[in-house]
Amino acid sequence: MQPYQEEYIANLKEITLLTSGEEREGQNFEEFLAQADGQKRRAEEKAKRNMKLLREGLFPVLDHIFDADEEETAQLREFAGGLLSGRDELDVGLYCQVHKALLSLARQTKDRKNMIRELYSLGMGYYSISNKLVGLSREDTQKYISQMRLCFAEAAAYLKYFDEIEDGETRGYILRSRANMALGSFSSPSEKIRMVKRTLQILQDKGYQEKEPGLPWDRYIYMTHQQMAASISYSKDNTMTSEDIADVMESVYIVYQRRFQEAERKGEKPPLRPSFSYNTIAYFCGMLGLEELLAKMEDLMDGADPKDYSVDSMYSIISVPAFYCQFLNDYPEQIPKRKEYIENLYRRILDYVDTVPRAAENEALFLYLRQLSSTFVETEDSVLYKDFLLKLQMHFTPEIYIHSRMVAEMAAAFCGMIMDEEPWFFDDIEEICRIEEAEEKRRRAVAWAAECGMLHDVGKINFLNLYAQTARQWFEEEYEMAHLHTLMGANLLEARASTRIYASVAMGHHFWYDGSRGYPEAYQRLECPCRQMVDVIGLFDWISNVTDTARLYTGIEKTFEEAVREAVALEGRRFSPLLTARLRDEKIVSGIKAAFETGRREAYRQLYALRT
Amino acid sequence: MKGSKGYLVVERRAGDEAGVLYADSMACELSGLTAEELQSVDPEQTLKHLKNDVVALDGEHELWILDTACNRHRRVAELEHMNAALEDALKAAEEANRAKSNFLSNLSHDIRTPMNAIVGMTSIGLSHIDEKSRVQDCLMKIKTASSHLMSLVNDVLDMSRIDSGRMTLNEEVFSLPDLVHDIAVIVRPQAEQKKQTLQMEIGQIYEENLIGDSLRLRQILVNIIGNAVKYTLENGSIRTRFSQRMPENREGSKPEKNTVVLEFLCEDNGIGMSQDFLSRIFLPFERVNNTTISKIEGTGLGMSIVKNLVDRMGGEITVESREGEGSCFRVTLPVAVAVHSRKEQELPEGETVLIAEDRDDRAEQISGYLEEAGLRPVRTRSGLETVTRLTEAQYENHMPCAMLLGQELEDMSVLELASHVRQLAGRTFPILLVSEADWAQIEYRASRAGVNAFVPCPLFRSRLMETLASCGSQEGTGRQAEREREYGSHHVLLVEDIALNQEIAVEMLTMMGVQVEAANNGAEALERFQASPEGHFEIIFMDIQMPVMDGYEATKRIRELPRKDGESVWIVAMTANAFVEDIRLSREAGMDEHCSKPIDPKRLQEILDSRFG
Repeated sequence: MQPYQEEYIANLKEITLLTSGEEREGQNFEEFLAQADGQKRRAEEKAKRNMKLLREGLFPVLDHIFDADEEETAQLREFAGGLLSGRDELDVGLYCQVHKALLSLARQTKDRKNMIRELYSLGMGYYSISNKLVGLSREDTQKYISQMRLCFAEAAAYLKYFDEIEDGETRGYILRSRANMALGSFSSPSEKIRMVKRTLQILQDKGYQEKEPGLPWDRYIYMTHQQMAASISYSKDNTMTSEDIADVMESVYIVYQRRFQEAERKGEKPPLRPSFSYNTIAYFCGMLGLEELLAKMEDLMDGADPKDYSVDSMYSIISVPAFYCQFLNDYPEQIPKRKEYIENLYRRILDYVDTVPRAAENEALFLYLRQLSSTFVETEDSVLYKDFLLKLQMHFTPEIYIHSRMVAEMAAAFCGMIMDEEPWFFDDIEEICRIEEAEEKRRRAVAWAAECGMLHDVGKINFLNLYAQTARQWFEEEYEMAHLHTLMGANLLEARASTRIYASVAMGHHFWYDGSRGYPEAYQRLECPCRQMVDVIGLFDWISNVTDTARLYTGIEKTFEEAVREAVALEGRRFSPLLTARLRDEKIVSGIKAAFETGRREAYRQLYALRT
Repeated sequence: MKGSKGYLVVERRAGDEAGVLYADSMACELSGLTAEELQSVDPEQTLKHLKNDVVALDGEHELWILDTACNRHRRVAELEHMNAALEDALKAAEEANRAKSNFLSNLSHDIRTPMNAIVGMTSIGLSHIDEKSRVQDCLMKIKTASSHLMSLVNDVLDMSRIDSGRMTLNEEVFSLPDLVHDIAVIVRPQAEQKKQTLQMEIGQIYEENLIGDSLRLRQILVNIIGNAVKYTLENGSIRTRFSQRMPENREGSKPEKNTVVLEFLCEDNGIGMSQDFLSRIFLPFERVNNTTISKIEGTGLGMSIVKNLVDRMGGEITVESREGEGSCFRVTLPVAVAVHSRKEQELPEGETVLIAEDRDDRAEQISGYLEEAGLRPVRTRSGLETVTRLTEAQYENHMPCAMLLGQELEDMSVLELASHVRQLAGRTFPILLVSEADWAQIEYRASRAGVNAFVPCPLFRSRLMETLASCGSQEGTGRQAEREREYGSHHVLLVEDIALNQEIAVEMLTMMGVQVEAANNGAEALERFQASPEGHFEIIFMDIQMPVMDGYEATKRIRELPRKDGESVWIVAMTANAFVEDIRLSREAGMDEHCSKPIDPKRLQEILDSRFG
């Protein structure tokens, strides 16, 4: 690797440590705050340095990619390998940029071997991106899944010329690409199962095996069985044919047997993960009833050790509950008799999350928690869904939590001032409109603003790499992807009764007031049942972003006063004139600035409480 | 017989009909009956018109004096006949008056409704004048209401022209594909709004360039399809079909040369019409009343205008309908064929064309047209299958001559596939989009995805072949020459320090038809620009990181030059620096566009098109 490449990767690792905010023991709050400030500053310096490294080191190479010699391309590959390797993901966006350039070079020079390899690598990058979009509709994620699948499909097409391609490594890429075509979601489980089945047939074909005996065929086949067994997680009743069930069952049994044998050989506890697939396939083929399946899942969840932070244990404690809740969502009549169990389940999970040592398998933990958030079952006395979401924010995206808190404080303060002058201002919100008593009306409006501020960015939880772990400014594609946080947030909030009323705020807070710009297209301001509140949150989200939160990844940095002036300049276009008119009043602005500071400090106080 | 009288004795008993007891010879002569026959008839009915006078003989008998010299009875008969006719006329007038009253009442309602919207929305807009988006919404609603009002007025004026015989038809050459696409653009959004399936099929078409009044023809067809949309419930379906046949040989006459019969069918599964209404459908001011369709607006003149126009064009319109099941309109019109020299398309016979389309009907139609033209269609249904086939074709060196992307694929959006195929197959491989979509809406995304050309649906053979031919020769001199004709007069300056990059970019730009000059760094670019006549360079493609003078500095200096084009020349940043901040910085430095490296030809083309197109 080139020195700039090594430094870039070292900086990424350091930034990850700095943003995870390791605190010293016995710190008081002021020390914690000072340390957090220092860490943030250092992370920003590192990020700036990284930008310089890319500008001076990488971009000129990409600029001249068609001129690059073998050594340079080998270094680029090694560098990309450091950015994303297996589960270790440091900078998938840059990884994709590098491999895109290498693919262009391979296409230009008609270097088939490298073309196949680059298609595989780029496919893996896209997989990593699409894998984060848990909970979004297929329509919204299709672009990313298609990009991934097309890369794998193109590389896999060379299977027809397996004989002519004599290089063993390239043959391996072709086979792995073929297997990876089944990654990601499909329109039906059958489609996915058919795809995996075809891969299995290819891998088990003696003809191919004899041509390249050096490849790890057993491993390929076993991993494909694992892939087939995992497809059960996404299946629902009546969505699989009997042939599908038979295919999955065979793979589930193979994986189950092998994992148990391995555990026995090593003298370890029987693995929990394959047991879930084993029970579920038994349910799908009628050997277990729903009650029995749910009871077996409860056994699995209850049997997990809450002090065991291995991936297998996390799976039982968090991921199995996600699938358990999925069944309950599909069969809501099962909920009343399990109310108490569900309530305890979520408390247990949150306690577990609080005790997980930071950075210990956090990627898996985070994935499982996102699965859980998308199937969350809310009951009368259960943990509130919004609290669950905020807990995730505090743990995994503390920066977003701090930002949300600042927006909430500013919005609440501002709404209070508006309500003092115009008590009917938020009467587009039905609940507020119904309240007649002025003080109660004001109190509700302020509470609404605070809740909206806290929840407007919950969708960002799926884009950890863009927000919490970013160590440089975004590329255009990343900027576009970040837009999905609005839809994601609206989907999450819309799905639960206690948060449904705030969904429009998550959806519309980046939409311009005059409709000329912003996103997403799905937001229709004039049809929004709380558009004045959306406007308020949009305004303070922007102010907080340009002054504090987003400067790292967008490169925009303004003081609070500059931001307010610019908001007024954008009056009637980006922001509602009904709101910006008030920003001309110095007293109001100073009130908001105080709330801005309070919000930030209060957010840190909450994080401090959580960590100590 | 003038002045002669006849006599009858008539007996009239209580409860019985009157009967003739006696008739003299003159009475028989006047009545044209024998005495016996007269005794068997009812004199009140049969002889009423001859009865001149009556003399009561006693309580049961009368003497009737029959007289032809007196016209009273005839007059009475005539008067009664006239009365009946007048009654009929009155009834008809009353019926017409009822229809007109209904029309006026409907019209006043229909006029009042959009007027209410206009007045109301204007007030709302005025009271929220500070809320731009609110005002915008009001204006959009006012616009919709105004266009509706305009269409009402136009209908009334048309009917009045027809009534007064002032309606004339134009004779002009028009293109049937253009006409059908215009109609599709008008009616598709209406159907989409009601989530209806609107199928627009094209059958056998002999001639596409025709002579007639295309405006009136469009009015006929839009009216019929518009009614189908209006009277079909949400999620319903409407099928239209355009075809042609040769005129039939009438007995003893030769078929007219240079004429085809245009056949149009429109069937829907809407609310249908009663048999009673069907008999009145082409009368003015009639419209269906149905409670299942709310807010149906219109004058009730549309179908009457359609019928009049079809009659004037020498055609026929028929309708079949069943209440609750739907309606089917058929129009046949003889249309003159425009004399034109058919330009044979230069298509590479026997070459393969890849069709990526999941819809069977569309794929079959495209395949049919390609086969007729001597091409070999190969069809795929999914993105993955397409990429697999193209990769194999590339490996085996038998790439198809083009790819036709259809409306939908099994597994992904067509534009996602286009984007990957553009990378896989290279910049010169023609990718055509054959779609019902409105090109204006998707052009930006489609061009960015690498689509070279668009063929609108309903699909006409000529359109497909023309577009395919123009794209097919893209690599050859035909397209090159066309591009040179298009962009050949435009000069661009390429500023790039790396020789290989410069060579590739010059090649790409030359392929796109512009006149390219190259500079090796910012200082050289500045020098060249200063030395060129004003307005010579219209675009400067500027690398950012260069020795001697970088792209930002060069841009700044060019913008500061004391010449008019220093400010107006388009400067496009070409750099691998792809951060959002870089894009912003290039804009701040005075650059107009950003094109990231490695250079993507479709992006270059997009920039040229937006500057020169």
